[in-house]
Amino acid sequence: MLFDDYAARFARGERPDAREYLARAGEGVDELGTLIERFLERTAPPAPDDGALRLAEAWVAGNSPLVQLRAERGLRREEVVDSLIAALGLDRAKREKVTGYYHQLENGLLDVTRVDRRVWEVLAEALEARLGDLVAWRPRPIGAKMAYMRPSEILEAASPSMPAAAAAPRAAAEPYPDEVDRLFGQAP
Amino acid sequence: MTHGRDAEDAKLLQAGDIAGLLAAYNDTIVGRCVARLRGSLDAEDVAQNVRLRLLSEFHRGRSYGDLPYRVVVHQVIGWTLGDYHAGRPTDVPLPEGWEPASPDASDQVAANYDLRRLFETLPEKTRAVLELRYSLGLEHEQIAERLGMKRNAVDQALNRGHSKLRDVLVADG
Repeated sequence: MLFDDYAARFARGERPDAREYLARAGEGVDELGTLIERFLERTAPPAPDDGALRLAEAWVAGNSPLVQLRAERGLRREEVVDSLIAALGLDRAKREKVTGYYHQLENGLLDVTRVDRRVWEVLAEALEARLGDLVAWRPRPIGAKMAYMRPSEILEAASPSMPAAAAAPRAAAEPYPDEVDRLFGQAP
Repeated sequence: MTHGRDAEDAKLLQAGDIAGLLAAYNDTIVGRCVARLRGSLDAEDVAQNVRLRLLSEFHRGRSYGDLPYRVVVHQVIGWTLGDYHAGRPTDVPLPEGWEPASPDASDQVAANYDLRRLFETLPEKTRAVLELRYSLGLEHEQIAERLGMKRNAVDQALNRGHSKLRDVLVADG
């Protein structure tokens, strides 16, 4: 029984992904969704692990959890970009574009729900983190004025230190969208 | 169990450790949003705005009397999901006068967020089996060993209890 398995794993602190269970529920998805939600309402969560705690601390401090994880692993941004290019079989000539998009992703300037799952899988492995945590703990805007600005509004106020490719990731002559644009959710 | 969690939450609140509280409840927040929205990609956005609202409440210096923090978390989740379904913006703070529960209703509200209350109406053996399964996550064989029951009896108790639990949880509005 999907609910029974989910609830027991949650109680054990195994951090089951509700979305994966819902995807397996077929016609029973509504009942399963209700059961899981009602169960979570009434169940104390297990104590968080150190990784979850550090992500939360970075998020509260206004730092990027992705940057935090990268720093903890002793990785430079270029190394993560190399991992993305290698694992996803991307054209190395698109390195600047990939770097730009990854910079935006680290700083909460991309819609995470549109970024391809394969990108997250590579990042989860490179950063030794749980894929769900990377998606969940996206950076929060800093300061009261920005507290609830949408990513597109924040991009307009982006700092000049952002790599040029991030602000204008494609040259006029390049076809759009290309594979990199699609992977980072930038295709229409 | 909720009482242990409540004591830990009270310590974290006293210490001003909002990161510790958010870390503890993040899976609950995300799980509820994903479950309510049936896996929609909007769930992560709603969960982010729940966290932002909890952070905003914390910075406002809100205190909640004797109300357990887990109840506050669930009330904020409920409000935010309600805003989402009503088409109201979720990316704004909660209203200034927002209260998770009135002082005279806080005990009842807190009881509504306790799984053990649902088990109270079950026969003792069934209750014991469900508590070990859903509060500790024990496997069927482990439950049988701990309670001195046959594995088959545990399976049957779980089936009965699960049916009852499903009826109550799905019917609960």
